[in-house]
Amino acid sequence: MAVDTQKALLFGGAAALRLLLFTVFPALPNLLAGRVEVSTPVTSFKRLQEGLFLYTHNVSPYDGGLYHQAPLLLPLFSLLPNPAYYPLATNLVFTAVDLLSAYAVAQVAQGGAASVSRLFSSSRKDLKWSSTAIAAGFLYNPFTVLTCLARSTSALTNLFILTAMAKASQGASSTFILALSFAAYLGMHPILLFPPLLVLLYDARAAKTKTTPNAWSFTVAHTLGLAAVSGALLAASAVLTGSWDFLAATYGVRLLLPDLTPNVGLWWYFFIEMFDSFREFFLGVFWLHAASYMPGLTIRLHKQPLFVACTLTGIFAVFTPYPSIADAALYLSLVPLFRHLFPLMRYTFVASAAVLYASFLGPAFYYLWIYAGSGNANFFYAITLVWSLGLSIIIGDSLFAALRDELDVERPELKGKDVRRI
Amino acid sequence: MASPNAADASSAPEPSKETSIIVPRAAKAHNGPPPESKEGIWLRRAAILSFWAVVVLLGLPVWWKTTAIYRAELPLQDMTDWAESKICKPVFPLRIAVESSISSHDAQQLVRLTQHAIDDLNEFSAHHLRLMPATSPYTANSSQEVIIDGTSIRSDDRDNALVIRMIQVETGETPRSQLQSYSPTLDVYYSASQLPAQSSTSSPLASFIAQELHTVFAEEQAQLAYLLAAQPGAQAARTKALSVEKYVELDRQSTKVLKYAPTYHLTFSLFSPSYTPSAWNIEAALRTYLSPLLESFSGISNFTVDSQVQLYATFSPSIHQPEFDEHLKAWTLRKEDLSAFVNAAEWPLSPSIGEGPTVNFILYVPDASQSPLLVKENAGNSWLIPQWGGVHILNVQNVSTTPNVLTAEDLVPAMHTFSDQLTVLFGLPQAPASLPLRISTLERVRAASLIFSASSTLGALAQVYQKMPSIPVPDNVAQSVDSTIAHLQQACHLLREGRFQGALEHARIAEVEAEKAFFERSMVGQVYFPDEHKVAVYLPLLGPVAVPLVMAALKELKGVLASARGR
Repeated sequence: MAVDTQKALLFGGAAALRLLLFTVFPALPNLLAGRVEVSTPVTSFKRLQEGLFLYTHNVSPYDGGLYHQAPLLLPLFSLLPNPAYYPLATNLVFTAVDLLSAYAVAQVAQGGAASVSRLFSSSRKDLKWSSTAIAAGFLYNPFTVLTCLARSTSALTNLFILTAMAKASQGASSTFILALSFAAYLGMHPILLFPPLLVLLYDARAAKTKTTPNAWSFTVAHTLGLAAVSGALLAASAVLTGSWDFLAATYGVRLLLPDLTPNVGLWWYFFIEMFDSFREFFLGVFWLHAASYMPGLTIRLHKQPLFVACTLTGIFAVFTPYPSIADAALYLSLVPLFRHLFPLMRYTFVASAAVLYASFLGPAFYYLWIYAGSGNANFFYAITLVWSLGLSIIIGDSLFAALRDELDVERPELKGKDVRRI
Repeated sequence: MASPNAADASSAPEPSKETSIIVPRAAKAHNGPPPESKEGIWLRRAAILSFWAVVVLLGLPVWWKTTAIYRAELPLQDMTDWAESKICKPVFPLRIAVESSISSHDAQQLVRLTQHAIDDLNEFSAHHLRLMPATSPYTANSSQEVIIDGTSIRSDDRDNALVIRMIQVETGETPRSQLQSYSPTLDVYYSASQLPAQSSTSSPLASFIAQELHTVFAEEQAQLAYLLAAQPGAQAARTKALSVEKYVELDRQSTKVLKYAPTYHLTFSLFSPSYTPSAWNIEAALRTYLSPLLESFSGISNFTVDSQVQLYATFSPSIHQPEFDEHLKAWTLRKEDLSAFVNAAEWPLSPSIGEGPTVNFILYVPDASQSPLLVKENAGNSWLIPQWGGVHILNVQNVSTTPNVLTAEDLVPAMHTFSDQLTVLFGLPQAPASLPLRISTLERVRAASLIFSASSTLGALAQVYQKMPSIPVPDNVAQSVDSTIAHLQQACHLLREGRFQGALEHARIAEVEAEKAFFERSMVGQVYFPDEHKVAVYLPLLGPVAVPLVMAALKELKGVLASARGR
């Protein structure tokens, strides 16, 4: 009961904080919606409104060339009153999305799959934070709050990713497939989370039923399910917009990067400078680089599938074409699940300093470049490099810690000793 | 790319390989790392393999597909042959209709004799005149069926270059001839006695007609010979039909002529140093004096016309201000200042409006206090600016103040000057006197020069294609080349048949297509991109990624080999 009161207070407080910010600073959402760190061309609320306007006037939303988000968002948001006059409904929706995401994070933490899985049990498994604390870490993360205030649609993608993780760790097949299909439908790259989460689902199912289902038929059934649901979503979109043009305007834009608006990622600057004739080649290289981590990590760390999924969200936050702080918020909220790895991490100070440094200097450098005119694009690009470096250090360091943790289980006699690569 | 390596490096290694520096007590006996578990080895190899699989199965096809240079097939041999004038030797067979009221038998005889005389006179083999007896459209009306059997033609056929009208007279000097100014007709007056007898092999009348025809077409032959002389493998033509003086003169003329374009834009501008005249009746003047000329040019090029009035237009500071000449009783401009008369910096004469080059005609009305304004050296008031346009200074006579409005009558001298200047800029030959004949001459000259220019563009494109194997050649270049060649062939064929209007049409399309192919934008992107630069493009990014991948693979292979040898 005490825990429930605690949770109610936590969620209520988070909701109150968001609504308070929405009401006290009515200009803040629009300001944030225009910031490149928060809103990318594929998640911006302003562009969503443009798409909505065209949609409600019976024009194809993609004809304007500005809207690159999924078509099914349009009927959903067209139900809400116009946010320019009645912002409350939209604000409530985005607050609810955050609360649901936090609930999903809490469920993942509750399941304990982070430190104890079917094939692996960490030697430090008692070292963990409560699910309430981890949900609080998500809800009061300033990046999450900013994303919510900017009403970026990546909040919805994050919700579906977290739900998929929660359902996978509970062994609920159908809801997992639904949630992951929605995440992939909205954001495209979350499809790469399917293999590690499938392993997680398999482990959870095996633990629940105390049997080991046939791995091949399990994989085939779930892959077919995912294909069917995704296909149904795409077909519904095609019916809604009346053609398949939306594929080029949504996934095509994510794949081919025609919009080089700056963001916190690494792609935009690189492709501004790129020779035209090599553009296609390096698009391929960058995408393959981002995608190549999935199979390697899934194979190597198949005993800790939740850790793989979590690390992949971190890689997405660095190496996808249109990342924003919403992606970083997702990753940074998932890292506390692995409290047991913290003692093994070596560069926590450097990493957190780099992330903090970038978060404060990023907006300042952007201002110098765009508004004051006393800096140039290199200023902002340098700070996005620092930001990506900070996140990469966390990713690399936690990977090292996870491997070390496995070694400690395998060879308990080496615990606490220094290691060296040979 | 430090960050992916960090992740790379930590994902690839195997924990079992990370061993303690302080050798554990249990393993003290044998100095070295403890053996790895079977599963550990398998896992590590699978992880490394998965990275390699991505590189080989996805990366290599992406590399192959995205960096391939697409080069459409071009008919190189044909293109080179066209450029070297191997395929098309332009010939200009001109059909000349001889219209007479004498019996067809006598007419045949006269035509035959005249043809002999012409063939003897002609030195330029590509250009030859073919005489045909013709029936007049007036005598052979529609009720009377004319049998066209190859020996006789209708004289109103558009493909006839010239019609000779034989007119029998009783008085006056005979034979004499007169060229009509506004139709391609040569009237020949003769007396009945001058008709050649049936058996004679020569006749003064025939040689007279031949001589006249030779004179009429002398200018055209010179122009064509000049054109052919500039082509590869056509040196012979120059020496025979073209004297050196004529060659130099044509060379000088050709520098004045505008580059050929299917559409020209004519801008008529009125400049005045004060506030008057502020209006001019240019529309009426153009309609009366220029439109007929433009209409007769319409077979060769189209024209668009606009006009403007600019007040308070001052001279450029770089020229001498007009001086008063007591002798001429006029204000004068120096001849050397004429080239800077047009104040390009301040007068709004835009270089190109719409498609096609702009031809500027400037009417300058001097202030009443500086009127009349003339050129000092020759007291002229107009001049031509090569390849650009013409200037005319309009001195309003007998009035103390400049009128506010220039009427169409005021503009008459200017319009005459402008039409003369236009014909020069357009490249119309100066002789003979008949305007339609001059225009059809220009048609032939233009058709030939367009064929040459399109052919040489094709040759240049073929050279670029062969000399630069690294530039991409998209499909539309190949399409343009095919279309150019097809139209060139058509043009050449029509030339041979003597249908010059159609030949010009096709030559024009060929030229446009050839230019389109040669100046295709996407071809020039990689011209200055040597192969060494590719290293600089690939290495900084792919090098750091490749090193851990290659090292891990090598290490694994070594391990596999060692264990195989051990067994």
